[in-house]
Order: sequence, then structure tokens, then C-alpha cells
Amino acid sequence: MNEFFVAIGLGMCILVFLVLYRVIFGPGVFNRIAAISAIGTKTLIILLILGYVYNRVDMFIDISMVYALLNFIGSIAAAKYLEMER
Amino acid sequence: MIASSDDIIIKTIARIFVPFIQLYALYVIMHGHYSPGGGFQGGVILGASLALLLITHGYDEMKRKIPEGVIMLLGSVGVLIYAGIGLTCLLLGGNYLDYSQLSVILHVDPAHARSLGILGVELGVGFTVMAIMYSIFFDISTGGLLPGNEKRSGEWEDSE
Amino acid sequence: MAYILATLSIVCIVGGLFFFTTATIGLLRFPDFFTRLHATGKGDTLAVFLCLIGFAIHEGLSLTALKIAFIAVFMFLAQPTATHAISRAGIRHGLKPWVKGEERQ
Repeated sequence: MNEFFVAIGLGMCILVFLVLYRVIFGPGVFNRIAAISAIGTKTLIILLILGYVYNRVDMFIDISMVYALLNFIGSIAAAKYLEMER
Repeated sequence: MIASSDDIIIKTIARIFVPFIQLYALYVIMHGHYSPGGGFQGGVILGASLALLLITHGYDEMKRKIPEGVIMLLGSVGVLIYAGIGLTCLLLGGNYLDYSQLSVILHVDPAHARSLGILGVELGVGFTVMAIMYSIFFDISTGGLLPGNEKRSGEWEDSE
Repeated sequence: MAYILATLSIVCIVGGLFFFTTATIGLLRFPDFFTRLHATGKGDTLAVFLCLIGFAIHEGLSLTALKIAFIAVFMFLAQPTATHAISRAGIRHGLKPWVKGEERQ
């Protein structure tokens, strides 16, 4: 079961690198904000998989919950800032 | 000034989530000695919950709900808890912040008294961090303009 | 019984990885900002929910599974709200949706 989790984690890392293309080359700032939110969601799963690899899941759950909160607040703050009329 | 968000979805979701975020922050403060957490981390999450309210509900409504005097009072209460526990240990006959002297007041053995002393100190740190984070965010969000005197940034009045 | 729980957990996690892959391909290949937001807002939410349910089933009945279920419910409510906020900011800023026949942006 451990190797299965490591394989899933590697798949997630590859997906993060694919989304990084949209962060760098997205025309305009809105594409970048949507892609950052997607990277945050994938990071949450990678954190839990790290918890399984090190056999201390109950510590990494608290960290991942905090990261989900901060991702949400950051998205709303960035959207509020960019809401000005052109 | 941050204007109030005129969207009912974002306002309702923020209002639903803020009590749960604060409850989770209290859990993080309490479990500092056993899992990642402690005073400063819990205080940051508490401050982030108040910042969420400020973003979605606007400057005027938050100025009515949490005035600046109240938040400064809360920050001072946090420092008072920290220094008060230290001075109590000093008055009871030990060093400053020597929690084992608290076993006289609380009627427990010194190991338990040390654990409870650290918990009280972390609570004080959490309150102060929350108050200062919210206060800094509140002051920066005005953009340097006093209420009632708002001009768009980029327009400077003439010196004459 | 343990085999059934392990199989169910593996099915959920692999399903979550599949939806993550489709959401990422959509984010790269769609022609406009709002269509990309469709892909990542919907696909990522379902994928995270399935992955977290898979982790919770693997744990069994304990406190850890309850905490993972809390994270799953939070993500299920918060991610669509963030997508709504970003798209609303896009409309207010003046971005126009893509019409068939224009070029990619």
C-alpha cells in the first residue's frame, strides 16, 4: 500500500508541473490566479501522502487543514483586489 | 476603503465559515505541545478569520462591529496574561516564569502546574497576535486616507 | 472485510487522480479564461473530495477519519465559492467570453 501512495504522489507532482505552465505563460493575471488555486488543491493531497510515507498521518492532517483555509482566503482576497473597473 | 461585497453567496459563506475557523484556531493553540501548533500559529489563523470578514463585509461595517479601541484592548489583555503569569510565579517565591510555583495556588503537583502554565502563556500570545494582525490589516486597508476625505490615489491637491 | 475496504479506497483514490488529470488537461487546452475556470473549478472539487474520501476509508473508524471528512466537507463548500469570486472579478474587470471563431487567448 505504501508504494501505491508514493506512485499517486509522483503523479500529483507531474500534474503540478503541468499547471505551472499556465502560471508562467497565462496571458493576464486572472489565468494565473486560477492556476495558483489549482496548485494549492493538489498540494493538499501531496501533504497527506507525505504523512502516509512518514507514518505520522495525524500531524500532517492539521497542516493540510490550515493550508486549505489559507488557499481559500487568498483566492478571495486576490479576487477582491482585482475587481476594479478597467 | 474596501467596499462591501454586493454578492450574497460570498457574504453568506464567509459568515458560515468564520466560527468554524475560529474553533479550529483554538484547537491549534491548545494542542501546541503535541502536534504542530502553539500560540503564534493559532493567533495567525484567528487573525485570518477576522481578515476574511473585513474583505467580504467592507470597511464601514467592520468599523462598527469591531472598533479600534476594542481590538487594542484585546491585544493588551494578551500581554497582561503573559506578564501576569510570570509575575505570579515571581511573587510566589521562584524565578520569573517558573511555573512549578503555581502548584501552591492550583493544588496540583509541579509537573501538571508546568503544563498549565505553558497553556496560559500560549493563550495570551494567541490573543495578542490576533489583535495585532487584524489591526495592521485594518489600518493598511484604508490606503492612507481618512474616512470622509477619500480621493483616488494619483490625484494630488495643489500646494497653493 | 479488510480487502473490501482496501479495494474501495484504491478505487476512490484512482478515480480522484483521473479527475485531476482531466481537469489539468482542460486547464491547458481550453481557449478562454472562463472555460478554463469551468475545468478547474468543477474537476478539482470532485477530485479532491474523492481522494479525501479514499484516505478516510483507508483509515477505518477513528478520529483521523473524522478530521479528513471535515477537510473534505470544507473543500466541497469553499472551492466553488472561490471559483465564483474569481469569475465575478473577471466579469467586472471587463473580460469578454469567447465566441466560436475567434482565436485562442
